[in-house]
Amino acid sequence: MDPAALIPVPDAIPVHWGWLQFFLHLTLFCHILLMNVTVGTACIAMVGYLRGRGASTPCTELVSRTLPFTIAFTVNFGVAPLLFVQALYGHFLYTSSILMAVFWLAVVGLLIAAYALAYVYKNLYARLGRGRPFVVALMVLLLFTVAFFFVNNFTLMQTPSNWSRYFAHPHGLLLNLADPMLVPRFLHFMVGAVAIGGLAIALWFHWRRSRGDQTADHWLRHGCRWFSFATIANVAIGLWFLAALPQGMLRPATTTGWLFLLCLAIGGMLAVAAVLFGLANRVLPALACTLATLALMLWARGLLRAALLSPWFSMEQLPLTPAATPLFFFLFMLAAGLTLIASMLHFTFRSWAGREELP
Amino acid sequence: MNYPVWQLDFLGGGLPVALIAVFHVYIAHFAVGGGLFLALAERKAIRENNPAMLAYVRGHARFFLVLTMVAGAISGVGIWFVISLLNPAATSILIHTFVFAWAAEWVCFLVEIVSLFLYVYSFDRLAPGRHQLLAWIYGGVAWMSLFLINGIIGFMLTPGDWLATKNVWDGFFNPSFWPSLAFRTFFALIIAGLFGLVTATWLKDPSLRTTLTRFCARWLLLPFLFFLASAVWYRAALPPDLQEAIWTRMPSARPFIDGFLVGAPVLALGGLLLMARLPAGLSRSLAILLLLIGQLLMGCFECIREGGRRPYILRDYLYATSVLRDDVRRLQTEGMLTAAKWVRHRQITEDNAREAGRDLYNLLCLSCHAIGGPMRDIRKLAAPYTPSGLDAMISGMHTFHPVMPPFTGTAEERRALARFIAHGLNGRSDPPPARLAGKLAEIPPFNPQSDRFVLVAWSTLGMRYVAEVKGLLSLFPPGNGLQAQLIERGETPEIVNQGVHLRYRVEHGFVGPDGQAAPSGDMLPEEDVFTAEGIALYPVSAQGFDPYPVVTIEARDESENILAMTKVVAPVSTEMGCTTCHGGAPEPDDHAGLNRQTALNILEAHDRLSGTSLLVTEQSGKMVRCQSCHADVMVRAKGEPDRLSLSASIHGFHVHYLRDKGAEACSFCHPASPTGATRSLRDIHSALGLDCTNCHGSMEDHALGLLQLERLAGKQQAARLMTALTPRAVAAIDAIVPRKPWINQPDCLHCHVDYQPPATDTTINTWTEGEQALYRNRTDESGRLFCAACHSSPHALYPANNPHGDQLDALQPLQYQGNRLPLGANRACSVCHTVAMDDEMHHPNSLGTFRNE
Repeated sequence: MDPAALIPVPDAIPVHWGWLQFFLHLTLFCHILLMNVTVGTACIAMVGYLRGRGASTPCTELVSRTLPFTIAFTVNFGVAPLLFVQALYGHFLYTSSILMAVFWLAVVGLLIAAYALAYVYKNLYARLGRGRPFVVALMVLLLFTVAFFFVNNFTLMQTPSNWSRYFAHPHGLLLNLADPMLVPRFLHFMVGAVAIGGLAIALWFHWRRSRGDQTADHWLRHGCRWFSFATIANVAIGLWFLAALPQGMLRPATTTGWLFLLCLAIGGMLAVAAVLFGLANRVLPALACTLATLALMLWARGLLRAALLSPWFSMEQLPLTPAATPLFFFLFMLAAGLTLIASMLHFTFRSWAGREELP
Repeated sequence: MNYPVWQLDFLGGGLPVALIAVFHVYIAHFAVGGGLFLALAERKAIRENNPAMLAYVRGHARFFLVLTMVAGAISGVGIWFVISLLNPAATSILIHTFVFAWAAEWVCFLVEIVSLFLYVYSFDRLAPGRHQLLAWIYGGVAWMSLFLINGIIGFMLTPGDWLATKNVWDGFFNPSFWPSLAFRTFFALIIAGLFGLVTATWLKDPSLRTTLTRFCARWLLLPFLFFLASAVWYRAALPPDLQEAIWTRMPSARPFIDGFLVGAPVLALGGLLLMARLPAGLSRSLAILLLLIGQLLMGCFECIREGGRRPYILRDYLYATSVLRDDVRRLQTEGMLTAAKWVRHRQITEDNAREAGRDLYNLLCLSCHAIGGPMRDIRKLAAPYTPSGLDAMISGMHTFHPVMPPFTGTAEERRALARFIAHGLNGRSDPPPARLAGKLAEIPPFNPQSDRFVLVAWSTLGMRYVAEVKGLLSLFPPGNGLQAQLIERGETPEIVNQGVHLRYRVEHGFVGPDGQAAPSGDMLPEEDVFTAEGIALYPVSAQGFDPYPVVTIEARDESENILAMTKVVAPVSTEMGCTTCHGGAPEPDDHAGLNRQTALNILEAHDRLSGTSLLVTEQSGKMVRCQSCHADVMVRAKGEPDRLSLSASIHGFHVHYLRDKGAEACSFCHPASPTGATRSLRDIHSALGLDCTNCHGSMEDHALGLLQLERLAGKQQAARLMTALTPRAVAAIDAIVPRKPWINQPDCLHCHVDYQPPATDTTINTWTEGEQALYRNRTDESGRLFCAACHSSPHALYPANNPHGDQLDALQPLQYQGNRLPLGANRACSVCHTVAMDDEMHHPNSLGTFRNE
């Protein structure tokens, strides 16, 4: 069956697709960053328990306190890119979601369970005792499963040639397991999350050290080690991912192709720099390089999707029914919301300034 | 049809959405009202300088945070997930139309998270005013979220001017926007109180518990009147047709409306009760109970709103089947399988009909109807239907079921879908062509040389049916009619009506409806004719189903000497086809008719669609007789004056399911099918290829004629039934001639003008003027010999050929003239006349040669 015949007709967008693409990339960057912190710190805490026979450390304690917050903001910042990706690629995403509907809907339940465990881990940290590793391990397992389903969906949506399996299996139980990109892509995200989780821990203890905490240096180095070695491993996985791309998909002769390669090249160099900074325990330069790398890699991710879908779709094909006022309304709401947030943070943290403890 | 369908047979499309939505919406409203609750509860604690109360607020805030963040926020994402899986087309429209409204709502969500975290984790760390300000900010932004979502949800129910302008703001600020916002706002405050009660009643300090329980109970009571007022406003803001649909035409909405009407006052009463000092255990139980009632109330409200939207998912724009309203006509011509992207079969063949039906089910049914599941289970709903019955049902389902869309596909696709459901899922089949046993009848003797008398007899109706389940339902009771004339042969034959009596005797082996022996009796003399009415015949003989009992009629003089004897069939059939759509099995003898199950289904449908309580009547032991309410000339029932006649009512209702079916429509209910067990059309016209519609018109015109009479009599029900009908034979409904059932009928002379060969084979919108003009009441030009005496009953006109036995409907021609032609045809005047006849004294052309021998 011709895959093109299966691709749904998209609905009209209200503004030029560039706006939606911009908001998609911006919010996805925040989401991925927060997701990495959530998953990465949880992984590091889990491994910490395994290596330390379940003993509590400042690192695991930190993770227990922050996970409910990072999950909340991960979810929140996941909503926005999910919205914008639907506006641009909804006809692909809905289709792939339906093909793996059972797993996709299970994400909701898995997330609620992981989120609830995060609160259990935080609120019952002291009482859990030896149960802490199990709680964290279960939460990591749930989050990994969620990530695996996400990677399945977002690879399936960009490979319509795999869609015709639906006719033999219409019950929403398909995964994209045969896609050679699936495993390296999943690992690339997860190992990257561990790296950024390590960097987040290092950053926290960097701040603690600046406030005079004498024990923070050990955990700063601990975080940097996680970051550096995970990043090194992720470079290797990234090369595997690159090798798994369909032959001839990204030709340097095309704009998409050379932009993609440019992103990878600069991102790769920045990643190497970040590793070097990490190994030297220089958190802030490592952070700057990492954020830049992440932004470039996410851009490359978007270019890869455009390239994979190019036989069937390009943004220019999206019908446009102009309606600018809702965009202005959103921009106003965004500005007002950020102002409000800044104001609340300002007066709250100013009030807390005399106290050391955080929630 | 743009997207694949998640084949979720057991759950269907509705249940997953309902489960997640009702749960989420309750918590989401708590999240809106809860912000204000926290702000005011904290203010109260600070004003009263009550640390214990402040501790309660702190604990409640943590509970609020975990519940709304963990369950509320993620189940909200879950709704997105599930609707995009189950109705991606609608989700796509909502996303693309309101992308920036959604984005603005995301900003609110972000501010909510930040403000709530700061609020919960800054107790004792901020000045009271600042801390309360965080709660106010949270509450305000949460309400803004409601504001935004309310616009989008309201759009789905009342898109208003957006349908014409496609302007986002027209859709957002739709007709139900403000009342819905008010309603949800007050509901959110009540829900905040309900959750507050749960935490307050668990406090250990009795005094604080009482204080806070009363504080929370006020959250139920103070907004309550505003809540009710906004509900009334909300209803009033709905378009009139939507109001009418929800409140009068959707029986499925009634339990939810009732649930809301009962649940709302219960909440207020519960609030009042909790204002009193109650034992801790009782107040806790009551708080939990009220919380559950609140959830129930929310569920009822959402089900009314969602139900009111049906059959649309975006009202007046996109059906729940993901078909745009504007595309329906095109798809009815081009076909769904051709247009849909995700189907396995584009063409329907005999081999793939079941799979193609499954494809159509996925596209057109599964979004609402589960297969074997708990919600709108198609197996249960379609259980009474055979494939052809379900095909008919689907063709007109939107007329009387406002929650159903018109079928979007071709007639062939409709049949495939019906076959998949009725046969594929429920194992039901249409009856195969009946195999007739064959029946012989002995021709009575007649000696043209010596016999003085000719006895002719006929059945007053050539197609007589019975629809009755003893003790339960009588639609058409038994009661055949026979007429006979005794003619003394001679140069000028005389009709004998004095000094003789006629007696009829139904053939041995037949039983009446109550199992009594074959009826017999005297025929009553009238002016020139002997009549027997109300002969309780039933098509059951010792050999089984037999719709053509042979009746022997004898004429005797006063000394009981037999003057003449003849035979005639008295057709009677129970082959009404009710089981095609109303379930049950044909009775008697598995050939035709209806049984208790069928009758109960009919009563239930009547109750559901007409608001009657016939099932209650039946359960009280009374037999339901249709003619008690609906007038019927045939059984001399006057009915109730404001109701439609039985014929108008039955035809006016069922026609909506039997449009465009030609003569097949008639055979759905009448024993006229050429493959049925009765095959009542057995006369010369049928042999020449004419069917019911040649004389009676199409089902649409037939019904419209009956309804027109009722409409002109001022019966609104008739006008309503006519609105969805289009006449076939004439251009407009006003041109339909009103017709009184059984009185205004087609007549031979409408085609055979002046008894001549017909210029047309179809009569259009033309009926006999009165009862005396009916064929069965008309005589020849002498005014004494009935037309039927020589030509037999309607539908069995000589030369009739009865498929059950070729002699059955030609007994008298065979007896008197040795052929099957009308008596006296081809100048066989000697049947009655002892001299040759040259005058066409019976009617013009009566001495002509029979054309269709």
